[in-house]
Amino acid sequence: MLAALRRFRFTEFQLLVVPSLMAIVGLLTVFLNRTGSAQWTWSDIWISLAYVVLLFGITGWLSLSGFKGDQVLFPIVAMLVGLGLLIMQRLQPVLEAKGGAWATLAQRQLIYLALGLGLFWGMMTFVRSLDWLRRYKYTWAFAGLALMAVTIVLGREEYGARSWLDLGIVTVQPDEIVKLILVVFMAGYLDEHRAAIGSTYRLGPLSLPPIPYLLPMGLMWLMAVATVVLQNNLGSALLFFGIFLVMLYVATGRQVYVVVGLASFAVAVYIAYQLFGRIGDRVQNWIDPWADPWVLGNQQIQSDYAMAAGRMFGVGLGNGFPQFIPVVETDYVFAVIGEELGFLGTMGVLCLYLLLVGRGFLIALRAEDGFARLLAAGLTTILALQTLIILGGVVRLIPLTGVTLPFISAGGSSLLTNFIIVALLLRTSDPEWRRG
Amino acid sequence: MRLFVRAAAFVAAVLVVGYGMLALGQEDQRAWLVVVAAAFVLLIVALWPTFPAGGGVFERSLTRTAVVLFVVFILISVQLLRIQVVQSEAISSRQAATERGTMMDPREMIRATQVARGRILAAGGEPIADTVVEADGTWRREYADPAAAYVAGYFSPLAYGMSGLEQTYNAYLRGEEGGNPFSEWLDGILQRGRRGYDLTLSLNLDLQRRADELLGDQTGAVVVMDAKTGAVLALVSKPHIDPARLYTNVGPDSEAQVAAARAYWEEVTQPGSSALVLRPTQGLYAPGSVFKTVTAAAAIETGVAAPDTVYRDEGALTVDGRVIPEENRPDPNRVSYTLTEAYGWSLNVVYAQIGLQLGAQRLDQYAKRFGFDQEIPFDLPTAASQLARDDAFLSSRAALADTAFGQGQLFVTPLQMALVAAAVVNDGEIMRPYLVERVSTFEGKTLQTRSPEVWKRAISSETAATMRDIMIQSVHEGYAQGAAIPGYVVGGKTGTAEAGDGPPHAWFLGFAGKDDPRYVVAVIVEHGGEGGRTALPIGRELLRQAVEQAGP
Repeated sequence: MLAALRRFRFTEFQLLVVPSLMAIVGLLTVFLNRTGSAQWTWSDIWISLAYVVLLFGITGWLSLSGFKGDQVLFPIVAMLVGLGLLIMQRLQPVLEAKGGAWATLAQRQLIYLALGLGLFWGMMTFVRSLDWLRRYKYTWAFAGLALMAVTIVLGREEYGARSWLDLGIVTVQPDEIVKLILVVFMAGYLDEHRAAIGSTYRLGPLSLPPIPYLLPMGLMWLMAVATVVLQNNLGSALLFFGIFLVMLYVATGRQVYVVVGLASFAVAVYIAYQLFGRIGDRVQNWIDPWADPWVLGNQQIQSDYAMAAGRMFGVGLGNGFPQFIPVVETDYVFAVIGEELGFLGTMGVLCLYLLLVGRGFLIALRAEDGFARLLAAGLTTILALQTLIILGGVVRLIPLTGVTLPFISAGGSSLLTNFIIVALLLRTSDPEWRRG
Repeated sequence: MRLFVRAAAFVAAVLVVGYGMLALGQEDQRAWLVVVAAAFVLLIVALWPTFPAGGGVFERSLTRTAVVLFVVFILISVQLLRIQVVQSEAISSRQAATERGTMMDPREMIRATQVARGRILAAGGEPIADTVVEADGTWRREYADPAAAYVAGYFSPLAYGMSGLEQTYNAYLRGEEGGNPFSEWLDGILQRGRRGYDLTLSLNLDLQRRADELLGDQTGAVVVMDAKTGAVLALVSKPHIDPARLYTNVGPDSEAQVAAARAYWEEVTQPGSSALVLRPTQGLYAPGSVFKTVTAAAAIETGVAAPDTVYRDEGALTVDGRVIPEENRPDPNRVSYTLTEAYGWSLNVVYAQIGLQLGAQRLDQYAKRFGFDQEIPFDLPTAASQLARDDAFLSSRAALADTAFGQGQLFVTPLQMALVAAAVVNDGEIMRPYLVERVSTFEGKTLQTRSPEVWKRAISSETAATMRDIMIQSVHEGYAQGAAIPGYVVGGKTGTAEAGDGPPHAWFLGFAGKDDPRYVVAVIVEHGGEGGRTALPIGRELLRQAVEQAGP
């Protein structure tokens, strides 16, 4: 009995109270704002109640199963996922009005959320060791490359990027899982060859990096550029390449790789910019969306209007006008938060991501095994870069590129992948993971 | 040392960002990006972690990566602060007029349609822009009289935003400003159906209709004002828009309304169509001889000349090699004229000489005292009249001579010329022109009344009295003779301004009153030929109607 109490994840349990309250109060706000009355019953907010039950169910299960990993990560994720749930429920009437595939998006998102939590629970329960990730790293890499190739050949185009695979019932975005594979492969490869990659050898007066060992990395670089060119997907390319560079730097500590990598990527993007109109449009929109306020710049202008309308405190959940922003459910979901929750709301969300990333890096630093460290650092980098790339785009600090806002944007592939990331991070944070 | 560099970099980052936030607007995106990039470098310098030798590579590089990411997070929050707090007003109010219409924040439009809009009424209470509220609380705008409707401006929140008084008095018409803040708040809380506040204009609907009729199909503008108060009694622009055809509002008909508005907008924005320009306040024209009023007033007030100063006019004048021909002399054999006579007969050679005597500086000074080079404060947008388009233009003597009799690079609005006459009538002081006389609730309770105020003093009251006599004399003996109205004091000046290739613009500037003049009129008929023939009859008729309506 006492042993069970000692195992109880009390911090996690306490912290989960915040996302629970937010989910319940938030959904009630959304519901009451939509009906315009003060009448409600518990069944109107069954979604949030179910969510809260799942959250506490999971933390209870983790306690019972004797898991000793990080207790802060899951509540942060619960907060972000809960916010995403609120925003999707809030957007439901807007999405219904759009019709087509959007009409059922909010409901589908609920299914993805349930699946995501289920997947998370499953991984925390059945995946005790991470050795299988390390051992089969080349298999993973080939699987990832194959998936990319299939996407390029058979993929479907949406919003101008060929990065969706139609599987009949659902459409998946293979990029989401490929970025995970990239991290797993890099962590395994770099851990194995770290000494060699960090060293240099001399050729006359030149000191050269170990080129044979960098070759697989070069392939990865080519893949990133190929993504830009063949998929016309700058967002994913930026993400892949960022992950690649960060992991290389973290493993070797050599800044020259970063400099060379960034410079070569910049050249590649510049060439792509000259070749493809779409990237040129993005740059134009970034500098001055008012050059074409009705077509190209419309989305950005509407997003700016929405963010500005939020002022300090926001207009309140359900009181804004997200219907004016064309792709509000994915790229511009942050603008809804900006309008309805205000500057305080966006800063809150930003702080949650900052905490998430900080926690992820802390897990990486505390891990004792080389592979686990690199894995945790890489997985955290995925979340960090993805957040910064999309937020930087929405607020117009960099050109907008289509990646999802982790845990908040609509999209099943993205949500499931993010839950896998969290599960892997938690697993690495467990000091006893190797024993599993 | 290291600490000092860090602190300095941090302070510099804060300063750079602070400068960018306050000094760079939304249009300066490039400059702002440079600021952000500079702040990024400075913050990295300030926060770059250093480690004692011998530490782990992984710890070191991971911490540095974390710092870089942290700095990017900071920059995003800086940008959020800029968008959502510091510059949020500027972003919300940013608009752009394009061929497809005005791009504006749809939130503003929706707010505009929520409250039954206040009416815009003429001086006699006749609705110019009326609001019809249906039983179900929806409302629509109706325009009774196309001859006056465009003065209100258009209201087209779903397509083209709004213009004119609808725009400048939007907050009043929506009932958000001008009343009792407490009752407005209470109405909001209790969700009482609200009506915006009504505007009563100084516009005299009879005069407005008559002016519209008199101009007929001719292109041009008319301003009739009460010089003693600044009240605008008629404001006519031809051609003009029909705001009823641009009207859009939220409701079952909104799609049809938007489609109709778009079709009409295409029509009025076609090249060659200028119906959207409100000519009396925004049309810029060469004034021709009516500008001699400004030159004469400046000469008299500065003591350069008196009304009876005699000038020679031998049929032409050569200034720096440029010949100014004289076509206006009543008698080709007569060569000497007083300033007053030369005003009546509109002698260019005489006014060229007066202009040269005055010099560019004093002419410029007096033009500005009459309101040139400034946007006239008014209820509608105004264009600034200009003495010369290029600053250096008046340094040439020939150009100065041309300007003094009303050509050169002069461009004036009809409202500006009306204010010149108003200064003459009102003892040298220009009253601030206005259209909106009263703000009241729908039930008729007055919330605000305009009290006439002086905009500026143009000339001394003595000069004004002298100018009055000169202008009255011009109706007794001169080209403005046709303006006389039996039983009333009338002063005036015609103008025939060269305007490109076509026939000249016809001008008339005049005033009238029972014993003491009060009403002023400025008329321009574009390419109407001689001022005395085209513009003067319109001006005279409007003055007659104004003084007769005013009664004894």
